[in-house]
Amino acid sequence: MSALTASEAAMAKSTPEAAINRHDESARLGFRLTLPAQILVLFIAVFPLLMQLYISLTDWSPLSGLDWWGAWELWNGFANYSDLASDNRFWGALWRTAVVMVVCVPAEFLLGLALATLFADDFPGKRFFYSILLMPMMVVPAVAGYMFFMLFQSGGPLNDILSTLTGTRVAIAWLSDPTLALIAVMIADIWQWTPLMFLILLAGLVGVPQDQIKAATLLGANPWQRFTTIVLPKMKTIIIIALAIRVIENFKIFDTLYIMTGGGPGVATETISVYIYKVTTQDLIWGYVAAIALAILIVLSIATVFAMKRMAAVREVRA
Amino acid sequence: MSAIHLQNLVKTFGNFTALKTMDLEIADGEFMALLGPSGCGKSTTMNMIAGMEEPTEGRILFGDRDMTGVPMGRRGVGFVFQNYAIFTHMTVRQNLAYGPRMHGKPKAEIDRRVGAIAELLQLTPLLDRRAGRLSVNILQRVAIGRSAIMEPAIFLLDEPLSNVDAAFRAVMRTELKHLQREFRQTMVYVTHDQLEAMTMADRIAVMDHGVLQQVGTPIEVYNNPANVFVAKFIGAPGMNLIPGRPAESDRGLVVDLGPLGVTPPLPDHLAAALRRSNATVLYGFRPEQAAIAEDGEGLTLPVTFVERIGARTIVHMGQGGSAVKAVFDNNLRVAVGEMMVLAPDAASVRIFDVATGKAVGGRHG
Repeated sequence: MSALTASEAAMAKSTPEAAINRHDESARLGFRLTLPAQILVLFIAVFPLLMQLYISLTDWSPLSGLDWWGAWELWNGFANYSDLASDNRFWGALWRTAVVMVVCVPAEFLLGLALATLFADDFPGKRFFYSILLMPMMVVPAVAGYMFFMLFQSGGPLNDILSTLTGTRVAIAWLSDPTLALIAVMIADIWQWTPLMFLILLAGLVGVPQDQIKAATLLGANPWQRFTTIVLPKMKTIIIIALAIRVIENFKIFDTLYIMTGGGPGVATETISVYIYKVTTQDLIWGYVAAIALAILIVLSIATVFAMKRMAAVREVRA
Repeated sequence: MSAIHLQNLVKTFGNFTALKTMDLEIADGEFMALLGPSGCGKSTTMNMIAGMEEPTEGRILFGDRDMTGVPMGRRGVGFVFQNYAIFTHMTVRQNLAYGPRMHGKPKAEIDRRVGAIAELLQLTPLLDRRAGRLSVNILQRVAIGRSAIMEPAIFLLDEPLSNVDAAFRAVMRTELKHLQREFRQTMVYVTHDQLEAMTMADRIAVMDHGVLQQVGTPIEVYNNPANVFVAKFIGAPGMNLIPGRPAESDRGLVVDLGPLGVTPPLPDHLAAALRRSNATVLYGFRPEQAAIAEDGEGLTLPVTFVERIGARTIVHMGQGGSAVKAVFDNNLRVAVGEMMVLAPDAASVRIFDVATGKAVGGRHG
């Protein structure tokens, strides 16, 4: 009885088993074929990450006289992470990064959207203005940094223009005033990255089916109604992508800003990247740097996962 | 409801003339088909009626209201696009409610109107479905409903059946005709498919190269084509047109078709019209309106090809430069290479002037 059942079971199983074997075989082939790429990914992404995690749990510094793999001798557990929690300079930098993002990304988005709407229609000289508009994006950020550094000098062209306009001598020390320096840095970021937003949104905008817009017009929708009921919903995915790109990039704001202010005056424009850079190059406590970077990576990853989920949900709805 | 008057309508795009001086009267509640090959100006005409394009010259009147300069959102026309232009990111309900919502109608009224139109078009069970995932026939109903809910006096349809497969087209044709009777609006229907125009329209406006060729009921256009283009374009296959010269015989005026022989005597009114001129003419008759001559008197041609399409047999004949087709029952016994003597039905013979392309002898039967 039991033997019969066993053989029956074996017979019943035979076909799926064969399928599984076949599946295994093709999976093995796939694995072998992708192995070089996997090893590459391992060394580019996984290995540095593990190394970072390891160092973040120690007090290791390049001045400690130990090679990085010997950092375990300076093991301090989660001390770096608990220090981080009470590091006011870290939280300050994080706050400024958030402020810059909350101002810059929406500004870039709205300006980019307005420009994209303008450029979706034809007007004389469109190609010329289009090229001009894209130029900031092509400027090397360091060069843009020097440009704005000079522009915002107290004896610089901006103050000259303001003097001419107002008729009085204007000598605003843009980059030495904590608030104005932050504003200057934001202006530079908006100048440089609005074109990217514009480009992405324009691509989305021209992809909106014209006949649906015409249909809406025939049904009596005014331009604003057309924009809110047809254009924006159709652009939802591309808007989310554009915002995600700029949020991630803006969080890492560094080059232009560092050249303009070096994070100063004091720590007035010190964003998270600048802070990490300073701790790395000046304080040289790399165990701590690893902890900061990892903490930020985790926070950003969680945020990205949420954004992706939202995007997937939007796609689901659209399909 | 509203009549449409097109007066001296001209539309040019740069150097290209899409429409040359068109005059057309579309009566209130009439189903008018604009029929012609692609590029004939029919869609341009329709777009100008809708207000998507402004005429270069001329006027469009709805009833006695001049529509010049009235933007498309204010013309009160319903428009069904070739691909329906359904708002795919909305539900069927939102699509139907779009017009009233944009006009700021109260919610209760919108709900009532959407309910009524959905009931009429049998869309009620689909109201909360996403429009992006519906089949073509439902999309068409949504497109019609979305326009019809605004109760437009004029309904414009731009080749609405061209994306539908042949089997389904027959179903949709009857459905559309039924809907037009339901709504009783003035309908303008653009198509390149004569079958659609023939079966649905009250009158057909045949167009070619931006010129209105003929306006008439389907039967008029079929029976009495105004010119060579209409004669060839309408009917499947189109009218046979054979060049020849009028000649006197002892039994009356005939047309000498050269190698094909001499035609039977022409009816009196055609003979009378032809005697006045002596130009080369085109002798025309419908492939369906010819019989095999029992007495051996008629056009003698060799059969070049036999096309059997179920109910009917189309016999292709040709000699010299002339090709002739004739349609018979499917039980016809004929082989390629045989000589066939064809006698066109005297009453259905039409004569066209080669020089002008126009029909000779005016309208008849």
